[in-house]
Order: sequence, then structure tokens, then C-alpha cells
Amino acid sequence: MKRKLTGLPLAGSMVLGLAALGATPAQAEGTLKICYMSHPVIDANVAMMEKWAKANDVEFEKNPMSYSVYLPKMSQMLSSGGTDCDIFWHNDDWGQLWKQWVEQTSDVAGMDTIQKGPMRAFPNDEGQPTAVPLAHTVGTFFYRTDLVAENDVPKTWADMVAVGHKLQEEGKTKWGYVGGMTHQNTWFSIWWSLWTNGCDIFNPKFERDNAVLDKSGWVPTLTEDCHRETIEFWWDNLHKDKISPEGMVSYGRNEANAIFMAGESAFTFADSTFLGEFNNPEKSKIAGKVGMALWPMGPRLDHNVAWDTVWAWGIPKALDAKQKDIAKQALGAMLLDKEGQIDQWKGTGGPPPNTTLWPELASQDPVFAKLKAVVFDVQDHILSAYYFPNWPAVQKAYADISTEALSGKREDIPAVLERGMKTLHDAAVQQIAK
Amino acid sequence: MPTVAADRQPASRGAIPATRRRSRLIGERLNFQIGLILPSVLVLLLFQVVPIFIGTDASFRRWTLYDPDKTWVGLEHYRYVLSDTNFLFTVLPNTFLLMVGSVGLSLALGMAVALLLHRGFAAQRLVQTVVLLPLMIGPVIASTMMRWTFNDQFGVVNAFLGWLGLGQPAWLADRWYAFGVIVFTDVWIWTPWFGLLLLAGLKSLPKEPFEAAALDAAGRWRTFTHITVPMLRPVIGVCVVIRAIDCFRTFDQVWLLTGGGPARSTEVFSIYVYMEAFQNLNFARGSAAAVIGTLIIMVAGLALYALINRFMDVSR
Repeated sequence: MKRKLTGLPLAGSMVLGLAALGATPAQAEGTLKICYMSHPVIDANVAMMEKWAKANDVEFEKNPMSYSVYLPKMSQMLSSGGTDCDIFWHNDDWGQLWKQWVEQTSDVAGMDTIQKGPMRAFPNDEGQPTAVPLAHTVGTFFYRTDLVAENDVPKTWADMVAVGHKLQEEGKTKWGYVGGMTHQNTWFSIWWSLWTNGCDIFNPKFERDNAVLDKSGWVPTLTEDCHRETIEFWWDNLHKDKISPEGMVSYGRNEANAIFMAGESAFTFADSTFLGEFNNPEKSKIAGKVGMALWPMGPRLDHNVAWDTVWAWGIPKALDAKQKDIAKQALGAMLLDKEGQIDQWKGTGGPPPNTTLWPELASQDPVFAKLKAVVFDVQDHILSAYYFPNWPAVQKAYADISTEALSGKREDIPAVLERGMKTLHDAAVQQIAK
Repeated sequence: MPTVAADRQPASRGAIPATRRRSRLIGERLNFQIGLILPSVLVLLLFQVVPIFIGTDASFRRWTLYDPDKTWVGLEHYRYVLSDTNFLFTVLPNTFLLMVGSVGLSLALGMAVALLLHRGFAAQRLVQTVVLLPLMIGPVIASTMMRWTFNDQFGVVNAFLGWLGLGQPAWLADRWYAFGVIVFTDVWIWTPWFGLLLLAGLKSLPKEPFEAAALDAAGRWRTFTHITVPMLRPVIGVCVVIRAIDCFRTFDQVWLLTGGGPARSTEVFSIYVYMEAFQNLNFARGSAAAVIGTLIIMVAGLALYALINRFMDVSR
């Protein structure tokens, strides 16, 4: 009897619990877990998917992470078949790193509206895309509109040195050019100029097909004239012409941007997404005085180039069919959310991935029109990275070689680059490459 | 729950012999003690010992973070690290140079701080608190602050040098300047720690030897070198060993100040391991480097312990 009585409250509470479960008024249709690095552009993009989730009664779970742990953490999740994230932030740098664990995305609604070129970073072995773009990240040459008239914006390296020097001599600015140079910041000085000199990191130049690069043996271009000239150009900028501070070899983009925003440099190079920060009067002394231009050309190239890559989203292959479907619906809704994408551009400077919006946006917004002219309308687009597992090691090795060359004597540059050939080649072919 | 009082009960009362009761009691006590330490042992096993074994196992395999195929490759990664000229001729010398420079300078300055605070003066407590401030600031914050302090464009150091009419070097663009900034930052962070422990040591010293020295008209320096330092040797020894081992694994300061640059010239052991494991994603090679580092620091630690024991013997 006693046993029966003690069991009653338990049975009663179970019945009540079940009743309560059954009576839950709005059961969510599903859950969508999204993992990403917190960044204004990405946050704006997540907001579009959150809006879709709300409208479709899908529970939306956001998992922002620090950039410093993002790559190892996501690599671990994907390689172990984990399903902690239904959608995760995907970067062109990692396009090939994760390809075997990432779902094909060609069937996501709106994929026909995106630019195909940047998607070359994300194919699987069947050549199908494994990502959905969220914003374009484009390298942009910025100049001070209060110091340099549009017609006087440098068109060549020589112009950049001459204009920078003139402004320094007139006391209008402390430096002609600043840009990041350290590891993971090489794009903002050496690499853009390398590409405008018709050069690249490996031979064949501008090739990004790993099979071709494998067959060619990952031979660096360091000892070629086009490469040496680029390094010498920066050596002169730092030590001879002094349009850039000598300490620039130790600058990341934070230091370079700080100098530019303090009004102490006429030119810089950064991702277009920094335009918002440059124009923020609370942070920048040059707000409203920043223009974008085509990249100054090196002596060996006669036509303009630009880079156009994307930040994107990926879906783990390990998800079940229902979760994949929810994820694809959310991403499709984001791609087709015209209002949301325009808000993303206006609020954060993240160019929308849906290209059908571009003409309309360019007609309304002179800044976007300019960006379109100096980046998207340029015929020759560079892919600003190599897409294979050893790329992080190559990036680091390159930064070390170039820093050594730029920190020593000018006459030692060829020897440093010669030594760097083996280092860079070994970084590319070390045992982890597959 | 049995208590000690159970032992005091008359033997005639129980049918169980005293020796058996005692052994049962010991058994219960032992179980209780094991129960108390078991959670800590489990945590230690799961989060320290097992990862060390997994890491060591990884160092003998082809094991990348994104593609852990785990093929056995024997000593391949060890051979790579031990024949890497950067590891041998830049990373290890930098690591030991940082250890010697930082520990030596922190000890000397910490001793000065301790002696100053031991003398007693007005506002001593305030000064003591201020001196301890660097220890309360996280190394990441302190290092970021130092990076901007030594910035060649906006840094307060160059502003001051400019005001004096001196040159304004690009501190982080030159190997030895950059290394100097790393050592300076480490010393700035750790001097209060030395100061605090040495002050505690000073306060615990007996007064008689100092009174005798005063009667013999010994000067301050002679008293310091012949009485204070010998009597503080055990404290100094323990401080040096703990800090030296800790310094071997310094990461935050170097990573934030120079990232090991320019061109790997200020790279230390922990940065090397991090770059291999988490930048190049070669978990196996990073683990091999970590195991090699562990062996090196074990040897260095044993040598330092031997030195301490010698100090202790001398001070006795």
C-alpha cells in the first residue's frame, strides 16, 4: 500500500508533464544552429536567416566564436562527423580544407544570382560548389580625397611614390602609404602589388587548379624578375623613398588602419569592408574624405586587376536530410532577401552576394557604384589565396621570407629570395598535403 | 560513520577481535580518503594525463587536425623538429635567453622592491599596492598595452624619445629591439611576484644576525651580501625554479608583441609548437615539438632543483 502511495505523485507528475508537452501551443518546426565568427558583416547576414527562421517557426540558435579558435574547432567538428552546427561560416582560405565534409550547395535557391568566379575556391571533387556566399571581400586601394584629386590618383607604382613624396614634402601628410605587412596581412602591401606586376607566388602564375600546380611541382616565383622588383619596390618605399614607415614590416592591418584613420597617410590598402570604419567620425579623423581607386599598376602589366573573393556559409555533410533541408532553405532565403542584403551593404559595407541587386544599388549609392567600377567591373579577377591544405604554412613562410628581405640590405634581396625558394616549396609540399 | 571513539570501546564487548576492528577501521578510513581525492584524480587523469598520452601518441603518427588518418610514422616528426635549423638555432636560444634575461632581471628588481618595502616608510602600503598592480593585469592585456606603448608612430616611448631629441626606433621591426621589448614586458609583469615572495622571506628572517652585523659595524652592502642573500637562498631558489619553468612556456607576451617576428627572429618554444599545431594544422609535428620541449624542460628543471638543493645545503 505504502509503495503504491509513493508511486502516485510520480505517476501524476508524469501524466501532467506529458499533458503539458502535448499542450505546448507552438512547437517549433525545427532547429537551426549556426556557428560563425562575430563580425558586423556576418552578424548582418545572420540577421536575415534569423528573420527567416522566425517567419517559419524554426528555433534559431546562434554560436558566435572567436576567430583564434574557429579554424581548429570547426576542423575538429567536421572531421569527427559532428553536427553541432547546421550552418557554419566558411572562408575561401579553407575552401579545400573541408571539401570532403561539406554539403554540395548548387541546389540552394538563389545560387544562380551569385558571381561564379569567387566560387572557384569552394569546389568539391565533382566540381560542384560547397558554399553559399554571404558577402564579397574585395581588396581596395583607398586614398584621401581631401589630399588627392580623382584625376591625380596614382595609376602606377611610380605615381604612388611621386604623389606620396610630394604630399610628404608639402607637409600635408606624414606618410604616403601604409598597409599591413606581417603574417596574414601580406595582402595589404606586397601581394596586391605582386599581382599588379603580373606576378604570383607559384608557377604557373594565376593558376589555382591544384592538379596543375601539383604537376608543376609548386615552384615559387621568388627568383623571377617580377617578384624581385616587387620586393625592391617595397624596400625602396620603406628605406629609400620613405613613403612608408620602416616599422611597417611589423604592422598588422590594425596598426596600418590606425595610421590612416589618424590622417597620417595618403593611401592604404584594405578590405572594402573597412570603408565604414574609415568613415566613422567617432573613430576616424578622415571620415568623409576617403575614396576608392583602381590598384596602381606595376611596370610589367598593362591592364588592371582586382581580387574578388567571398565569405560564405557551409553545411556539414554529416547532417540528416531534414537538417540539411532546413539549412538550405535558410541560406536560400538569405540569398534572395533583397532588402536584407541592401541593409547589409548600407550598415556594414559588406557587398551583397546577389548580383541582381548590383545595378540598382549602384544607381542609388555612389560608394557602391565606385566599388563596382574599381573591383567588380574589372575584367581580370585574381583569386587572392591558394586553395589547398598547406596554404596556411605557405602564407607564414612567405611572410617570413619577405620580412627578412625587406629588413636587410637591398643588395641581399636576391640571396634572401633564392634561399626562400626551398622554404616556400617545402611549405607547399610538406606531408600534410593530399 | 565510524569514529576514533570506536577504538576506545572495551574489547570484551565486541565479538570482533581488536586487530580485525583496527584493520576494518583503516580500510574505512582509506576508502574515505580515496573518496575524497578520487574526483581530483579523475579530473587530473581526464584533462592532464590522458591528453598527454594522446598528444604523445599523435607525435608518432601522421595526424593533422583536419584529417587525422593516424598512420604510424615512428620518429619522423622528431627527426624533422630536431633537424630544423629554426628550432635549433633560433627557437631554443631565444627561449633560454628569455628565461635567463627575464628571470634574472625580475629577480634583481624584485629583490630591490622587497628591500625597499621592507625598510618601512610613509605610504608604504600604497606603494606596495601600486607595485603589485602589474601582477593583477592579465598578460594579454599587459602585452597589448606594451605593443602600443612601443608603437613607432603613436607609442609613448617614441614620443618621449622624440621630446628628448633622440632617435625613434621601429621597436618591433628589429630582432633585438623586439626581443628587448618582450623581455621588458615579461620583467614588468613578473617583478612584483618576485618582490612579494622575497618580501615575505625577508620578514621571516631572524633579527639577531642583523643586530650582530650592526654591532660589528658591517656596512649595508656587506650585510646584504653576507647575511640577507645567504639566508634568503631557499626562497630565491624556489622562486627561480618555479619562474624559470613557467618562463619556458611563455606564449601570450611573445604572440601578442611580435608573433615570433620579424621573420621568426623572436620565436620561442611555445610559439613554434603553436605554429606547427594550430597554424600549419600539423597536430603531429606540434605534438612532437611539445614532447621534445617537455624533455628539455625536465632536464633543465632537474638541473635547477639540484642547484636549489646546493643552495639549501650552503644556507644551512
